[in-house]
Amino acid sequence: MRSGPGMRAGPAAAPSGAGRHSAPAGADGGWRPARARPGAAMAAGRAAAGHGQGESGHGGRGGGFLGPRVPAEVEAMARALQDVGKETFRRLLKVTVNALEGKDCKESVKQIAESTDLSEEQLAFLISGMYTLLREALRLPLSTFKQEAFKEDLKELRIPEDFIVDFSSVVFGKRRPASEGTALLQRSRLPSVQDLRWRVDVAISTSSLARALQPSILMMMKLSDGTAHRFEVPVAKFQELRYNVALILKEMNDLEKRSILKIQD
Amino acid sequence: MAAPVVPESDSIRRAVSLLNAVDPGRFPRLLSRLLQKLHLKTESSFSEEEEEKLQIAFSLEKQDLHLVLETVSFILEQAVYHNLKPASLQQQLQSIHLDQDKAEAFASAWAVAGQDTIEKFRQRVLTPQKLETIGWQLNLQMAESMQAKLKSPRAVLELGVSNEDSKTLKKVFVEFSHQELFEFYNKLETIQAQLDSLT
Repeated sequence: MRSGPGMRAGPAAAPSGAGRHSAPAGADGGWRPARARPGAAMAAGRAAAGHGQGESGHGGRGGGFLGPRVPAEVEAMARALQDVGKETFRRLLKVTVNALEGKDCKESVKQIAESTDLSEEQLAFLISGMYTLLREALRLPLSTFKQEAFKEDLKELRIPEDFIVDFSSVVFGKRRPASEGTALLQRSRLPSVQDLRWRVDVAISTSSLARALQPSILMMMKLSDGTAHRFEVPVAKFQELRYNVALILKEMNDLEKRSILKIQD
Repeated sequence: MAAPVVPESDSIRRAVSLLNAVDPGRFPRLLSRLLQKLHLKTESSFSEEEEEKLQIAFSLEKQDLHLVLETVSFILEQAVYHNLKPASLQQQLQSIHLDQDKAEAFASAWAVAGQDTIEKFRQRVLTPQKLETIGWQLNLQMAESMQAKLKSPRAVLELGVSNEDSKTLKKVFVEFSHQELFEFYNKLETIQAQLDSLT
């Protein structure tokens, strides 16, 4: 049996984002740090350009997990943190973690703005800087990203020692934002099958054939983006589908065994 | 003998007399052309120009030509429905007073293309949407906006679903991880087991 035709004009399959999102996607009403000020947005844009050039490598100004060029808002945050008290910092950190988890933070930010003497601009830089810092740190898998390296990088940025401890506990400790079902797991992907229902019928008789005796398969596929597709699968096409799926599975198995997966992190 | 496959109504009688008058030379080609397009519901077998040519060739008026074409199609559809053998088809036609040469033409055209036509009717489905094409792509996702250093194999399945009315192919893209694809495959295996139990 032939394998199915390869896709000619394939979609952007498994789009791995070339650009970065500077704001939590899909968190409606959530406080979007990077868009609060045009300056911060532009800084994020520059940061996007500077990224993707190796996240490994420690030491040296601008090295470390943030890439060769530290995003401007992170630097601004690091400077602003010198004058921020521990209490305020802890509140800011809490707001940032909530934003990472996709929760609405407008209220808490307003409260902080009212109760401290930080200007709106300072607040924007602080929160957007902390958000970017934490989000980049959380992107890296824990298997390869170690706490010492993280602390080193933060020391390079001249962030006060106590604050480094707090940051660490968010990334490595128990306060790590839950990854399931939050803004952090907003995967850019094509829809997946959420539910598959099927039935096998045998048409005994139709308006055109007194004795048809033709089996047919009806499939109802519900996808993760909410669309539902109901269609008939002729028996021959079903065999082709089954063959192709088995073929992909075999190729996946081969792929997972091959040395390409031993690419060094 | 079972009930007659072709009823003897007025229009049938009129059509038969018209058919008997038609020149038998071109008749077999007409039959095979009609058989080819029989299973296509919406298309009429002949275009405007072709109908005009037929009118001239068979020296029939427009109305009469339509009646003849419809009757021949009806006879063929009945043959499909009852899965007639060529011999019984010929017998049925002769019993409604169709000339022998025409009845023989029917029988031989049916003997040649009958089974194929029946098969095409078998494949016809009532549901508006049917799976037509299957394509796929296997990718190794290295990273995404929210996670770096992934190395996760992902498969994308492209299902081409045809819509009976619009004739355009709707492409449905579905993405699977290894685990998801394995579950999908298990479901397909269950369906296959059901199909096997039918035979």
